[in-house]
Amino acid sequence: MKKIVLLSILILLSIPCCMVKAADAPENLAIRAGRIWTVTDGIITDGVIIIKNGKIQAVRKKPDVPAEIEVLDFSDKDVMPGLIDAHCHIGLSLDIYSEIDETVLAVTPDMQIIDAFNPLADDVKKVLRSGVTTVLLAPGNKNPIGGQTAVVKLFGKKTKDRVLKRAAGVKFSLRDEALMPDRRPTSRAGLLALIREELNNVKAYKEDKPDLRMEVLKSVVDANFPVYISTYTVDEITSAVALVDEYNLNAVLIGAEQGDEIADLIAGRNIPVIYSPLLLFSRDKDLKRVVNMADGGIKVAFSSSAPETSLSDLRTSAITAVKYGLDKEVALKSLTINAAQILGVSKRVGSIQRGKDADLVILNGDPLQPTSTVEMVIINGDIVYQRQKI
Amino acid sequence: MENPVVMGHKNIILISSMLLLFTFTSAFGDQGIAIRAGHILTISDNPIENGIILIKGGKIEALGQNVVLPEDVRLIDANDKFVIPGLIDAQSRLFVMDSELDESRTIAPELNILDAIDPFIKEYREVLAQGVTAVCVAPGSHGLIGGRSAVLKLNGSKNIDRMVLKADATVKAAVGMSTGNTSSSLARLEHYSSIREALIATKVYMQTKEKADREMAEYNRKKAEYEKKDSGKETEKKEKPKRPARFRSSPASDVLAQVLRKEIPLQVEAHRVTDILNVLRLADEFGFTLILDKCTEGYLIADEIARRKASVIVGPVSTSFVDMPRLEYRNHDMSNASILSKNGIKTALGVSGRDGASSKFITLAAAMAAANGMDKDAALRAITLTPAEMFGVADRIGSLQVGKDADLVILNGHPLDTQTRVEMVLIEGKVVFERKSQQ
Repeated sequence: MKKIVLLSILILLSIPCCMVKAADAPENLAIRAGRIWTVTDGIITDGVIIIKNGKIQAVRKKPDVPAEIEVLDFSDKDVMPGLIDAHCHIGLSLDIYSEIDETVLAVTPDMQIIDAFNPLADDVKKVLRSGVTTVLLAPGNKNPIGGQTAVVKLFGKKTKDRVLKRAAGVKFSLRDEALMPDRRPTSRAGLLALIREELNNVKAYKEDKPDLRMEVLKSVVDANFPVYISTYTVDEITSAVALVDEYNLNAVLIGAEQGDEIADLIAGRNIPVIYSPLLLFSRDKDLKRVVNMADGGIKVAFSSSAPETSLSDLRTSAITAVKYGLDKEVALKSLTINAAQILGVSKRVGSIQRGKDADLVILNGDPLQPTSTVEMVIINGDIVYQRQKI
Repeated sequence: MENPVVMGHKNIILISSMLLLFTFTSAFGDQGIAIRAGHILTISDNPIENGIILIKGGKIEALGQNVVLPEDVRLIDANDKFVIPGLIDAQSRLFVMDSELDESRTIAPELNILDAIDPFIKEYREVLAQGVTAVCVAPGSHGLIGGRSAVLKLNGSKNIDRMVLKADATVKAAVGMSTGNTSSSLARLEHYSSIREALIATKVYMQTKEKADREMAEYNRKKAEYEKKDSGKETEKKEKPKRPARFRSSPASDVLAQVLRKEIPLQVEAHRVTDILNVLRLADEFGFTLILDKCTEGYLIADEIARRKASVIVGPVSTSFVDMPRLEYRNHDMSNASILSKNGIKTALGVSGRDGASSKFITLAAAMAAANGMDKDAALRAITLTPAEMFGVADRIGSLQVGKDADLVILNGHPLDTQTRVEMVLIEGKVVFERKSQQ
């Protein structure tokens, strides 16, 4: 009996010791690279990135590294910031289509998608090889006013390392999927009427009678809390723009497949677009749309809309857009810093700059060539994927 | 001194001279075309720098650095450009409506994909514009033996007979396919044994037919003898020979008999290790020419495939090309093609896309295979000469060699580079695509 007690005490004592030790361990690492695609500061050839405690401490051309720092030598490789998938539904459930939408109610702005996120889910671990390090998690398209989106990393030891934004904005859906035969709205016009009704109710809302849904919508109308509006066709996009004008919304468009037809309308209001994945069976005309939108002055980010496509297809979307005429620099920004700015997390991710999180992707060539592949992925200074030679 | 007016109107003069040349070409028909090219990737031999390709009668007449240009030839200047043979998608759905591809769960080798071709499908122009000049279309990826595939040229003809480069290129089968995301081991076992039964039945059929043919020949001989004797002495009249029972031939068995006689390869879609091993066992037992299609987990048993000398069409190289990844793609690895080809297996690449238009991404598929370890030259061969050899059309297409069809592509850079654009495509010496300056 005594022995057991002693053992338990020992175990109890040792746990905090181990934890302290892990947190205190010096996390210094240097990466020597043939080319560093900083995104915000051009390409540095034969440079080095010094990482300290998960942050980028220095990016420089001279490859002198203090002796005590471990060096990963990628002198013949390319390093870029972690890719950002600006719209997906991973880690949310086993049967994804049944659990990302709240189908009984039409209006659920108080629902937070982060509550359904499992960072250890198989589909999250599996996509680390894609080079994507940060994603926007979003509810589906079945609610006119859906739940709140979140910005998370695919890896992180602690919640604060992993979750960049618990609540990044409210998702609206103007798509057909938001119409249901057995509840309001059942028509396109009814859908817009319902959204207006809800936003108008904010004016009459009294805080002495707290209502979570109204609180959220109030912050949308009064405090610039972002709305992510999912649209596809020209008329849906036009409706979204009308809402933005009427309620002075801080909006981001998701999808907006036909946005190039009214690019001036979108660009004129500085509404950014999180574009749908470029599908490798689309007609040339559709593959050129995202190019036309970027050329029309719209800030664009790419997305996988996983599980519609895989996160591994994110870079393929950008490569395909380049093939169809998108400027390479714009394509690179769309995968990184533009997405970070659209999601409001550019202070931490999106480029290789001093002070930002050490989220890096190492490739065996130009990131926008299909002949290049991801060799290693680093999130917060931790190596989370390394390509195995089979 | 050059005339300044001429300088200012250089474009007009260029265009009019091209028009003149064009009229000239059509007026005199077979006057010949020559391409002066910076880099000629022949695929079959070493690349040729600064060479000339001479085309006559739709064929490559001469090729090399020292080709003498005839006087009356139309010269295409591609001095700073790449010329490659027309690309081939070995796993295309072009010209075929989706719903027409699958007669599920049947043994139907007598079906012919050519009966389902729609030559009016417009997507072919976009595919052609990416340098694809031929596709292999095959029926059925859902069930057992789906029918016969064909190699078609994208020459713009609406007459199917003129599109066909080779009918009966392969007989297409599929084993171990899941329905949606559920898979039953029992169903997979059944696929294997159903195909095996069909092949055993074919063997019996062949023997019966051979016997019937023999008996018929014997009867004909006896009959002739009888009739001859009949006309002779009446006293030695023998009994009239009895006609043997008529042999009922079966179109399905006739096709499978061609497979067993190695006249048509059997192209079997199999994804998982167990299914691939099952197919290899069938090949051991029946000795047909095997083309493994898709072969998703092939990299795990490359030695087994290499030992049987089976060839493989890998696709999709990336799951980007397919719908919602099915169960079969669970162990999909982008290194598959690289590993198979490094094991000495004849490896072609296909797009295996969702739709006919997907075939336009064949160079993207090759580039992705190269990204994952496949040699760039091997990746290019895998979308040109290798599939041509597999489908038995390498005497016509697949490489730039004297005597072959003049199906070729002119590009402004290396074919696997993202930013490379196709400038011109020729099929049998005719310009079938030309890029407008602002495209």
